[in-house]
Amino acid sequence: MPANQLLVIPLLLPLLGAIISVFLWNSIRWQAVVVAVVQLAFISVSVIMLQQVLQAGILTTQVGNWPAPFGISLVTDVFSSLLLLTTSIAGLGVFMFSHTALDQSRKHFGYYPLFLLLQMGVSGVCLTGDIFNLYVWFEVLLICCFALIALGSRKSQLEGALKYLTINFVASGLLLSGIGVVYSLYGALNLAELARIVRSDHPNLDLLLVPGIFFLTGFGIKAAIFPLFFWLPASYHAPPISISAFVAGIISKIGMYTMLRLYTLIFSIELEAAQPLLLLLSGLTMAIGVVGAAAQVDFRKILSFHVISQIGYMLMGLAIYTPLAVAGSIFFIIHNMLVKTNLFLVSGVVAHRHHSFSLLKLGGVYLRHPTLSFLFLISALSLAGLPPLSGFWGKLMLAKGGFEAGHYLLVGTSLCVSLVTLFSMTKIWNEVFWKPRPRQLKQQPVVTGKSYIMYLSIIYLLVFILLLGVSAEPVIQMAKLSADQLFNSEIYIDAVLNPERAN
Amino acid sequence: MRTLIFATAIRMLTPVFLAFSIYILFRGHNHPGGGFIGGLIGSIAFVFHILGLGTRQTAKSYFSITFYKYDRKPHHGTIRHALRLLRKNLDRRKQKEKPKSIWNYYLLRLRPTYLMAVGLLVAVASGMVGLVLGKPFMTAYWVEGKIPVIGSLGTPLMFDAGVYLLVLGMVLKMVFTISKD
Repeated sequence: MPANQLLVIPLLLPLLGAIISVFLWNSIRWQAVVVAVVQLAFISVSVIMLQQVLQAGILTTQVGNWPAPFGISLVTDVFSSLLLLTTSIAGLGVFMFSHTALDQSRKHFGYYPLFLLLQMGVSGVCLTGDIFNLYVWFEVLLICCFALIALGSRKSQLEGALKYLTINFVASGLLLSGIGVVYSLYGALNLAELARIVRSDHPNLDLLLVPGIFFLTGFGIKAAIFPLFFWLPASYHAPPISISAFVAGIISKIGMYTMLRLYTLIFSIELEAAQPLLLLLSGLTMAIGVVGAAAQVDFRKILSFHVISQIGYMLMGLAIYTPLAVAGSIFFIIHNMLVKTNLFLVSGVVAHRHHSFSLLKLGGVYLRHPTLSFLFLISALSLAGLPPLSGFWGKLMLAKGGFEAGHYLLVGTSLCVSLVTLFSMTKIWNEVFWKPRPRQLKQQPVVTGKSYIMYLSIIYLLVFILLLGVSAEPVIQMAKLSADQLFNSEIYIDAVLNPERAN
Repeated sequence: MRTLIFATAIRMLTPVFLAFSIYILFRGHNHPGGGFIGGLIGSIAFVFHILGLGTRQTAKSYFSITFYKYDRKPHHGTIRHALRLLRKNLDRRKQKEKPKSIWNYYLLRLRPTYLMAVGLLVAVASGMVGLVLGKPFMTAYWVEGKIPVIGSLGTPLMFDAGVYLLVLGMVLKMVFTISKD
């Protein structure tokens, strides 16, 4: 398939799906059919894209047929197509879950179109090669997330949505200011053009730190890095699981993707100045997230705090800044998208059956649903990083990269945090699955509907998690390849600016 | 806001607003204007109409189709009956004969949300033209020749028309939702 067409399909598929779902507003069933078709097509397109990128290198297209530094470029390399594939896989899982678990009224008020538009935003962020478009796609994400979190308008949801919107609005403002500064300094918005200017002897190079700080703060808020993380656990637990699984599992990592992209491509020149700060932030993000999780007694809130802690690991690769560590970060992002989504889905099934997310009001799930407990256990151990599950490989690469670069303190912190994560997962295991059911709740009926699809979505994601753990080698190779591409920015610059020479 | 002067004036001005918004839409390619601002101007027409005359009246005059039904005269064939219906519907004021029933269809039942979806679809379709012809997405194609007031026709104009519909639908959706409360 020619690159011109291949690169716009991940944007057009969800958009067309959303338009068709709006036309089918009154028929939930047909909307679900449309979404299912879109998900399957999305996965296959992502597979094709990954395959082509592995064969032919970076693919680009110029939207509107205007040449590169002036028009809008869409670019995909191994990193972005890996990420697209992961989000599409997780998207299908979340769709299967929401098909049975989400209530009818939310579906009637446009859950499916919003879900598809959110996916369009994710692919837009992954594919864009233009810093202003990046901002626009983040706005798409912000609007869809806000609408999804507020969908159903319960009191707690509105509270969470308001917090989410306010803080992300500030972040968007910072990003826009940063983009304005970049444009006034260098007169370009195309990522490849910016990367080229930054590597030449432009008179304004000394001022690169200014937009760098804007972007660090803006994406720091969006990705929930240490001092700016407080909005995440305050809003992610509010909506129903079908929504928070996607938002917490996928969207929070998208900010991290952009940081990796921008800091390897543009701000890598100034990285010596920023590196101590990044090292400190990643260590603190890990530690604070996991400590916060230890204090919680709500299933979803524990998982939300772990999202923060794992963002710290992803930042760790960027802070160490060696090819191996960045590859570890990329592997970790992929692993975490799948595992975190799956853990949220498990908590959703437990809550669906036992009407509660609170650890105090749950118990004895193991007796009633041994299969579910087993599914949780594998995902949780994978999150904590026990070999041979997928989390182990990511942490191994990060730790090895850290040792080679001599950041012993950070690696030590990350290993301690892993231990606390394991403790936290055991806490959920003990309280929810293992301990006897609290006496005053024994009378409450347990919902035992035929919800095989709910289980199916979890098993489906678990298959990928196990594959990622047991046969990690190809994915690790791809992660290393994408780290190589990130470090050799000339390939990216050439592919966008001189497509003839690159071929 | 419901004063007689405002209501009368707005009843006459609304078509002017709409015509102006279409003009702005068409001149947008090389001059200030375009789909977004055209859609806003077009929706202002409806917003004022709602302010002056109320949601129901707006829906009746701009978003509904009214059809007068009559019985078929025994000596009329099908075609002649249809022609008679057409004639009677074209100038309804002069009718002496009472219609048998008045059939009223409110297009508002097709919510403004659909207008937004149609707008998006038109915009996406304009981009797909380039894609189908083997060029990158959204490559511009122009029809040869110029039309006096409108200018030249092409896919960018189609994209603008999509934006126009989208903005119109969105503002109408907001206004109808707010004015319902």
